[in-house]
Amino acid sequence: MARENQNFFRSFTHRNTMSSAIQDYLEGKIDFVGQQRVDEVARIWLFSFTALSFVIGFALQSLKFSFMLLGASTVVLCVIVLPAWPMFNRHPVKWLPVAGGDTKQ
Amino acid sequence: MHSFFTRINNVSALLSSCTMALLAAITIASLLQEAIYPPQINGQISMKPVKVFHAKTPRQRRKQEMGFLNFNMTADLTPLFTWNTKQLFLSLEAEYENIQGVNNTIVLWDRIVRRPEDARVKIIGAKNKYAFKEIGGKGFGKGAPGNASYALKYNLMPYVGMLRYGEAARLSDVPFDVREEL
Repeated sequence: MARENQNFFRSFTHRNTMSSAIQDYLEGKIDFVGQQRVDEVARIWLFSFTALSFVIGFALQSLKFSFMLLGASTVVLCVIVLPAWPMFNRHPVKWLPVAGGDTKQ
Repeated sequence: MHSFFTRINNVSALLSSCTMALLAAITIASLLQEAIYPPQINGQISMKPVKVFHAKTPRQRRKQEMGFLNFNMTADLTPLFTWNTKQLFLSLEAEYENIQGVNNTIVLWDRIVRRPEDARVKIIGAKNKYAFKEIGGKGFGKGAPGNASYALKYNLMPYVGMLRYGEAARLSDVPFDVREEL
């Protein structure tokens, strides 16, 4: 009884490969280590470029330069961080193997 | 950060915070710059006695006292232009006391300066842009104290921060030359 239930539920977890591949690509999942790295990179990048754009803008006495630098650095950050690059998927979650067959049947 | 959209969300939130911090830093830097190096502006105004006639513009019903200026003005306002200056609003204002003893201030000429290259003001033989008349009637003609002070005031509008006001030049005790009717 329990094994039949297991097989019944497994048929729902198996998805159509084509649409699931596109959906996974658009969803852009990255693993947990990748998420941590992305978080650090985004924070450090934006903090340092904000400080840099203030200092250089003050030195050049140009507000336009400050905001241009911040905007350009944001665009580069988006390219680095937003897509799900493979380097963020190097540590996939290690799932434990399925527990052995039923004890009853 | 697990999906594309949450990454967009987080990065845009971080960017907003960083932009606000940058604007706050610019404001504080401007405040400190003004406190440590206050700009010294020395300007000059010179004027002939102001002619006062009884006249009226075509849309008025009654004749009224109107003053006519002829002034020279020089001022160098380049110290006011920092990286945080958007524009300067200059105005020439007359301060006088009318017959009832009330102090009035009226703007007679103004100019908007957007670039430091235009910040050197040199005017010779200019007239007032706006009509010099007291709205309530008798102001500076016969019977009034016959002197007025003229001041060139500036309003500095920054990109980020508080508006700043100041005075660039002052000329006191210019007499009114009341003429008979035109």
